Amino acid sequence: MSHMWQREDPAFYEREKVAVETAYPNLHFVEDGDIVCVRGTFPVISEGQVIDRYSVELQLARDHPVGLPVVREVGGRLPRHADRHINAHDGSACALLPDERWRVWPKGAPLVDFLKGPLHGFFLAQSLVEAGQPWPWGQWAHGAKGVFQFYREILKTTDLHVMITFLEYITAKKPKGHWACACRSGKPLRKCHFVLVSSLREKIARKDALRSLQALKAAGDSAIEMTEAKPTPAT
Amino acid sequence: MTANEYLYDVLASQALTDDSDEIKALQKHRADVEKLLRDEFKDSALTIRYAGSKAKGTMNRESYDLDIISYSASGDTTIGETLQDIYDNTKKALAKKYLVEQKGSALRLKSCDPENLGVDFHIDVVPGRFTDDTKTDAYLYQSTGDKKRLKTNLDVHLEHVRESGLIDPIRLAKLWKVRNGLPIRTFVLELIVIKTLKDKKETGISEQMEHFWKELRDNSANLSVEDPANPSGNDLSKELDDNLKAQLASAARRTLKQIDESGWEVVYGEPEKKEKAEKVQFLRQAASVAVAPARPWLP
Repeated sequence: MSHMWQREDPAFYEREKVAVETAYPNLHFVEDGDIVCVRGTFPVISEGQVIDRYSVELQLARDHPVGLPVVREVGGRLPRHADRHINAHDGSACALLPDERWRVWPKGAPLVDFLKGPLHGFFLAQSLVEAGQPWPWGQWAHGAKGVFQFYREILKTTDLHVMITFLEYITAKKPKGHWACACRSGKPLRKCHFVLVSSLREKIARKDALRSLQALKAAGDSAIEMTEAKPTPAT
Repeated sequence: MTANEYLYDVLASQALTDDSDEIKALQKHRADVEKLLRDEFKDSALTIRYAGSKAKGTMNRESYDLDIISYSASGDTTIGETLQDIYDNTKKALAKKYLVEQKGSALRLKSCDPENLGVDFHIDVVPGRFTDDTKTDAYLYQSTGDKKRLKTNLDVHLEHVRESGLIDPIRLAKLWKVRNGLPIRTFVLELIVIKTLKDKKETGISEQMEHFWKELRDNSANLSVEDPANPSGNDLSKELDDNLKAQLASAARRTLKQIDESGWEVVYGEPEKKEKAEKVQFLRQAASVAVAPARPWLP
């Protein structure tokens, strides 16, 4: 089914549009067929001053705000290189790991918060990297390694199999209290990590957790090597 | 500071002098492109020249393209029999060193270095062939649209802009286009500025810009432009369709509202004067207080 969130809830569309265009005078909402795009210049700001600018296009998801916008730098300034977190095949940017979204752009938050938070951080970091500086908050490794790094932080485990079990519980239809806890303590889930699992089920979209689960399973034994992989630390 | 003083400050901050790093880099690119084409097509006496904003004097630091024409002499079939052959063979030659994208009559050059893949050099090479020995009119191949051959005249284009007396509002309109992500061809935008301001050459720059935007806001439906080098043969109406007119009108409406409610600085921001070291310092400061930053990833 083709969702057209802008038609289904025109008042919400208008709120999103006004909030973004008020905060960012050079960004415009444009309807391109049944897709809503935000185009124009995105400023990198420090203490109220514009330090840098990027020509951008944000393609809002058909199920916006559930799905993440697809972000592209369209001025040809950023190399299409994995190390710059730009997909070579379509130029889309990966400003964040979708599983981490709740930390930086939680469900229900307006689009303008995405721009002010993770998107601003992404372009600010790009400007620093372009100037020869390190990523200011570090970066996740690419693919399954990055997923592993993220869940290692969240679950505080380096055991891939424990991690996979946690993800199976996070993505399960309804985890049962009598299940053996994912941490392998031997206790039932309800007496061990039930609160953590419930909390992560609330925070992480099931489709994102499922994708991560599949990525870790596909990585298989090679994922063990990931225990050595650390996200590039923040400076 | 008056509105006019502010706008001249913006223009000054966007100026590119011949000794700037940007221009030096472009000149190096031009030399590389010229050498590549001359080496590749040794038997053809190509005419290779700057065109576009570099030749017109309408460059802005924030967004500039280098247009280079590469025309064969009339009757010279060394590079190709047909215009399409010339276009395709020029593309093939450039592809030895660049990632080449077709862009209407032009070939856009980007980096093919894996470390900088897709980084845009902002260089367009326009292949073509002069129509006769006067080396004025030329035929170009058009890779898009139904009409595949376009007659044009670079000198007429350059003169039309350079002699318009409207270089400053053209530069501001170009900056406005870039800042607002408007998908209009620069050449068409220049023609609109010249047409809408033809009777406003003596007025102040802020008044010129407001008039330009009011025309877009109020009369976009009737907006039309003609190619001065080929008024009857080059139909530009497809470059200015209803959708684009609506986008221009909407952006102009918003710009005028911003000026009315908040002043000119909302439109163009504070003129940038920061040096690289200072910029990095500001960026680091911003990073230290960032709200909800995320670590980037790649699937």
